[in-house]
Amino acid sequence: MATVLFYLLGLVTVIATLLAITRRNPVHAVIYLVNSFFALALLFYLLGAPLVAAWEVIIYAGAIMVLFLFIIMMLELAPTPEADRMGPTWWQWLPVLLLALALVGCTLMLIGVDAGVAQGVPRWYATPRDFGFALFGKYALAVEVVSFQLLFAAVGAFYVGKPERKRRQKKEEGA
Amino acid sequence: MENLAQIAMESVNFQAIMPSLVLCCFGMVLLLVSVFLERGRTAPICWLSIIGLVVTGIISINGWNDPQAGFAGGVVLDNFATFFNLTCLIAAGLTILMSDSYLHREGYPVAEYYPLILFTTAGAMWMASGTDLMTIFLGLEVLSVSLYVLAGFFRGQLRSNEAGLKYFFLGAFSTGFMLYGVALLYGVTGTTKVAGIAEAIRLMPDASSNPMIIAGAILLSIGFLFKIGAAPFHMWTPDVYQGAPTPITAFMSAGPKAAAFAAFMRVTYISLDSLQVDMSAMFWVLAVLTMTIGNFVAIAQKDVKRMLAFSSISHAGYALVGMVAWNEVGFSGILFYMLVYTFMNIGAFAVLVLIGKQGEDNLTLDGMAGLGYKRPFLGVAMAIFLFSLMGLPPTAGFTGKFFIFAGALKAGYVWLAILGVLNSAVSLYYYLRVMVYMYFRDPVEDFSWVKMEMATIVSILIAIAGVLYLGVLPGPVMELAKLSIF
Repeated sequence: MATVLFYLLGLVTVIATLLAITRRNPVHAVIYLVNSFFALALLFYLLGAPLVAAWEVIIYAGAIMVLFLFIIMMLELAPTPEADRMGPTWWQWLPVLLLALALVGCTLMLIGVDAGVAQGVPRWYATPRDFGFALFGKYALAVEVVSFQLLFAAVGAFYVGKPERKRRQKKEEGA
Repeated sequence: MENLAQIAMESVNFQAIMPSLVLCCFGMVLLLVSVFLERGRTAPICWLSIIGLVVTGIISINGWNDPQAGFAGGVVLDNFATFFNLTCLIAAGLTILMSDSYLHREGYPVAEYYPLILFTTAGAMWMASGTDLMTIFLGLEVLSVSLYVLAGFFRGQLRSNEAGLKYFFLGAFSTGFMLYGVALLYGVTGTTKVAGIAEAIRLMPDASSNPMIIAGAILLSIGFLFKIGAAPFHMWTPDVYQGAPTPITAFMSAGPKAAAFAAFMRVTYISLDSLQVDMSAMFWVLAVLTMTIGNFVAIAQKDVKRMLAFSSISHAGYALVGMVAWNEVGFSGILFYMLVYTFMNIGAFAVLVLIGKQGEDNLTLDGMAGLGYKRPFLGVAMAIFLFSLMGLPPTAGFTGKFFIFAGALKAGYVWLAILGVLNSAVSLYYYLRVMVYMYFRDPVEDFSWVKMEMATIVSILIAIAGVLYLGVLPGPVMELAKLSIF
């Protein structure tokens, strides 16, 4: 059962990722990528890592995908209103529908599987408590370094992203 | 609750990250101070950041011979890390000294520039002192992200934008390779600790034929090789070095490269010690490839900044020879060479900073014609740095190459040493050509725009002193380099 699920989910991941990198419409690509992340999350659950599975959904399928959509909106990469009014055709709907159905089916099948046991690891290999201690004990420095990095990544992004209107105006006045 | 107290007792040792901690605090304070200064006034920030570097340097030197491990074995501040820390601090200091007038000339007097250099240096320190692949990776990220911004700092200039974007894309890509390597090694050995990986590999009977370990080691190496700009991962170097602001180019070619070598050496020498035969063979090919490509392509360059970019590739190749040797002489040779390279390369770029015009700092060879007579001091300084880059005595370039090739010879790599010396001979051509233009061509320009900025001159003088001192009396520093090998 677990083996069947593994290959099924692996197949969904590969197909969804392939579709994601071949779509011309960036929003469609993002939808396929979300599918792929969900399949990955279920795979992690199957391997006895429910915590990682939850993060895969929360961080990747949730936060990072929203970031993708924001950037698509900001760069105005989405199709023009004319193309949008037509709406996606049924053959554009079909693959994502099938993949999503496969994922739902796999999730239902997971109820009957004792996750992780097939791989010989306990069901909760790392509890949130263990994880917290590892993160803020063993890897405390890493957490601090990451927070530092976020600070000056923000400083850098702010500097690079600031529009340069004043300078251009000055130049034009000079010329 | 008692668990928490226990963890805090065991793992936290601020002594082990003191230099980078001080540097980061300085960086943050400078960010705050810059808010209260009027726009375009960067001189106080510049001098405060120099003070920060000096304070950090003193703290680093105080930690000599007093190794401190901390954060559950995530970092260790040993002599090896201290040597590289000081090299990076010198690189950052020389860079900042030549930056202020340059930023004003180019019309970007922005205070964020200095804190970003301090953060880059802190990242370099984490790389040099990391004993956990996690710390090394995060150090690399801190260093890279700040450098992406610095490379594209002249955001109104297309060249600078291109440099920043190219560096960012390729850098992120190579970081992915490195992380993949870390994941594979973690998958086999179950640890990210540098020493733990060594232990696990040693206990494995068929380590050198285990595909996961081989793939992990290669992918990890790719990440480092990209940062040091070794062939065949050197493609980004010329464009980024040419497009970035000149002081940043100087810094990039010295400080971060030294840090990448530090982490690379620690990981290969400790973690992958059991794979020495295979790794040495790989480095042999890479070293020859890097030296040759760098030198031969540099010959074709008409632009001095771009030529120095290619020459920096070939110098990464010379340093890789020390990695091939895999012995004490070779490794301490790399430490010594990185220090030497910091002085001579940043010095050469400082001269370029002074003789560049606003908006066009990419000097062509023709543009340098007659510099030696019109501006005697700059001519002589450039000549000294070029002699050092060639590797001629009595400059530091000679002693640096001598130690590295001696390491290769000691390990029995006679052909590698011969190829290295032949490559140095090739490099004579394009370095000497600059000298020919400086002294034997009639001046096209009168260099009337050149302002002898005090801070930049100080930076050049320090670099000259370093080049000559390490060239004439290499003994004491070489001893320190030997003491630094773990």
